[in-house]
Amino acid sequence: MSQTADVVVVGGGIIGCAVVHALAQQLPRSTRIVLIDRGPIAGATSGSSMGHLMVTPDTPQDYAFSRTSVRLWNELAERVGGFHFQATGALYLADCDEDLELIPVLHEQFRDNGDRCEILDEQRLREIEPGLAPDVPGALFYPGDGVVLPMLACGAMLREARQWNESIEVRAECAVTGFERAGGRITGVATARGRIATPLVVNATGVWAPELAEMAGQPRLPIYPRAGNLAITAHHVSPIRTQLLEISYLRFAHGAAKVDPAGTDDPGGHAVNMQPQSHGGCLIGSTRQFRGMDRTLNRELLHRSLARAQRYAPALKNVPIVRTWVGLRPYAEGGLPFIGPWPHLDGLWIAAGHEGLGISLAPITGLLIAQQIAGVAPAVDPTPYQPARIGA
Amino acid sequence: MSERVRQAQVGIVGGGPAGMAAASALAARGRSVVVLDEGQRAGGQIFRQLPPGVAPPAGVSEPPSHDHGHELIDAFEGAQVELVSGATVWDSKPGRLWFEHAGESHLLECERILLAPGAMDRCIPFPGWTLPGVTTAGALQVMVRGFGVKPGRRALVVGSGPLLLPTVTALLAAGVEVVAALEASSRWNALRALPGVIGNGARLREAMWYMKQLVRAGVKLRWGWTVLRCEGDRHVERAVIAKVDGQGRPRLGTERTIEVDVVGAGFGLVPAIELGLLLGCDSRHLAARGGHCLVVDEQQRTTIDGVFAAGEIGGIGGAEVASAEGALAAAAIDHSLGGPAVSEPLVKQARAERRASDAMLRAFAPLPGLYQLANDDTIVCRCEDVPLSEARAAAELHGRSSRAIKVGCRAGMGPCQARICGPSLQQLATADPACEMDVPVVRVPVKPVRASTIVNAPG
Amino acid sequence: MSDNRSSMGRFGSDEREAVTFSFDGQEIAARNGDTVAMALWAVGEATLRRSSREGRPRGVLCNMGICYECLVLVDGVAVRACTTVVRAGMKVERGGTPGE
Repeated sequence: MSQTADVVVVGGGIIGCAVVHALAQQLPRSTRIVLIDRGPIAGATSGSSMGHLMVTPDTPQDYAFSRTSVRLWNELAERVGGFHFQATGALYLADCDEDLELIPVLHEQFRDNGDRCEILDEQRLREIEPGLAPDVPGALFYPGDGVVLPMLACGAMLREARQWNESIEVRAECAVTGFERAGGRITGVATARGRIATPLVVNATGVWAPELAEMAGQPRLPIYPRAGNLAITAHHVSPIRTQLLEISYLRFAHGAAKVDPAGTDDPGGHAVNMQPQSHGGCLIGSTRQFRGMDRTLNRELLHRSLARAQRYAPALKNVPIVRTWVGLRPYAEGGLPFIGPWPHLDGLWIAAGHEGLGISLAPITGLLIAQQIAGVAPAVDPTPYQPARIGA
Repeated sequence: MSERVRQAQVGIVGGGPAGMAAASALAARGRSVVVLDEGQRAGGQIFRQLPPGVAPPAGVSEPPSHDHGHELIDAFEGAQVELVSGATVWDSKPGRLWFEHAGESHLLECERILLAPGAMDRCIPFPGWTLPGVTTAGALQVMVRGFGVKPGRRALVVGSGPLLLPTVTALLAAGVEVVAALEASSRWNALRALPGVIGNGARLREAMWYMKQLVRAGVKLRWGWTVLRCEGDRHVERAVIAKVDGQGRPRLGTERTIEVDVVGAGFGLVPAIELGLLLGCDSRHLAARGGHCLVVDEQQRTTIDGVFAAGEIGGIGGAEVASAEGALAAAAIDHSLGGPAVSEPLVKQARAERRASDAMLRAFAPLPGLYQLANDDTIVCRCEDVPLSEARAAAELHGRSSRAIKVGCRAGMGPCQARICGPSLQQLATADPACEMDVPVVRVPVKPVRASTIVNAPG
Repeated sequence: MSDNRSSMGRFGSDEREAVTFSFDGQEIAARNGDTVAMALWAVGEATLRRSSREGRPRGVLCNMGICYECLVLVDGVAVRACTTVVRAGMKVERGGTPGE
């Protein structure tokens, strides 16, 4: 079987789905788009991750990037829905002096970007989250964050994309086996079910992006899997109703990693993120550890992170945990994702490396790729995310 | 149960016929044994015991096989074995079994593990199967034989397999009118099992006993019939039943409506292999023995060192297979700990029981047409409330693997961890009853436990 | 609801001690050794929870601790009604969302 496409998006996680979604929106209806994944759609990282929609106000660029994406999520929820979107906001919790110092900093960052958030006194804290332990020394509430169910969001994006462009083909459980090149540019991809001639390929395979780049004969792409252990409770028993985040998360999870991502000696760490689920359950994270592609449960790290969650939400103690699992976040060197054309091979684009913010940043990532391909002005300055930064 | 960490030479999961037979035999060889069982009393599901103080009405008899059950229970209760009832095993590594008991977190350290967790009813969704009053066939047996509770006034027993008969007789013993007893398999299929049953005295006597009970009560087991749907407001009130063809497909025009207030549905049994998979044991798919089964060798060893398995976990076979394999596993475990070699008669006995049971199960080959009972609105995943239409859409968009269907519609993500929907989900979602079934993915906790149990896990 | 109280019940002889507990505020007479699910079934209460999306009535499916269809709250803790033995004075509530 041989066919022709205008764009082939490889990787059926949230990023690949968002790219297809944005391409369908930005390009003419006649554009032939193929989405391909060797596994299920949303079967890997996106099917294993928390669905935090997170606004990060560190810099005006960061804020514009993350805020625009969360706004796009809100719009998608209004238009399409079906992926358990909840406008929970985020309750940042402090537990020590170092944490307490972060509260006014975060407050100011949101304010500087013209957004609002609230430093809570004890009474307000109890109003917003009655399930919280009585001895949490400080908290800040940001109302703009939300929660989605990522795997269902993948389907929602593809369904809307097909409304805009009926010809979109989704090939789940079909591996890309090679690339075809001629004259320094991509001309096609080989798949388990035949070749596809195409001038454009978007590599949206997350932690597998380096493997795919290598298949295309490209130098090492610095993306490293960073494992997270998660747990989920039964329905209707969540001890909390808003989204909880240890403020130390900002120190621990954001920006460039403080350990060697390719090393084998990362002891791992954790910062509590608890999300109420739409049927009254609660999703509990998050741990971080570089240890290659290993997806076995790190029991010790999980037990420790659950103990921390219990510290903030004491009622969790008696709540049934239904399942635990491990997901692999695609950490990109420097802490920022790669979004844009690959400088060494014409026609190859990258949209990968969002670490723990892939769900949150998917819509803006898709949009930036589609806008750059369509040649229209990007919604947010894409410069910091250009793959050309590698080795610079 | 005060100390949270305990040691034994052998840890046995499951107090049914396999676990009891193994425990008694190991204790007789001087081994220290701890049995972890989720029930309240020894016996497992098949030999449920009534609580002390409860007696069945006069004149209620038991099938001949229950003599064997009483022997097993008596031997077990007389043996130097520690039984932990109400224990939920939730995590395991070779040599370690973590369990929750009375809300507390415990660890059993043992040199050998024997997995004997038994089986569960296979559910095949049909419209109305979520109504209260519609249960598995096994649930009704537990109700009657384990608790002395009368399930209802008028019952329908439906499904396929040898466990429909004990369900019917249990209901009769409880004074319930069995309005219909429907075996989906055809009489012709049943004939295939005849040589195996006639050639085995114990099984023949057992079958004759059941037939006698049914005749006495005026209940006819109808071959080639099944349920199309159950109806009712908040409780089952009616069932529509119909004839099915040799593939299990309903035959139009044969529908009949019956008034019932309780329905027991059981389409065979599924081996409970989760703990084995968590430990890393190999499995294989044997449709005739209920689906994915743990691989065991001629001495009941799994593919993981120090982990043995006996009974239904290696494929559905019934109580006789289970106790024979339990006894064999005990000898093999004892040998692995330095005891004498396994005697040939034990191996032969277990093999003979397997042969007999495989022969009987030929009567109840899987019927692909039964997967047509569900319609678009029928709930396929009860935990997550997922209707068939959403599972179909997931298979269409996300892929045909069980993982794809799961992430596409959430089916299988709830507290039963796909134990109920898993055995039929792929066939239903892909509309392909012959599809190759993926091995279930098992994660900690193997069964839900409190967060504090995980946090406080010893070791 | 259709009244099943007359048809469900007990059979044989039962010399066990009586135990009472509450179910959604209503007093239930059980017998020592009953599980919550069986004590409720014996008095005609088959709906133990509401389903997660539609709020439809659900009750005992497997009766052996596998299916979790009978998740109820016992003194505020979510447990399986079919594996939880009754204790005098325990407070049991239906699981799930209040339907309809």
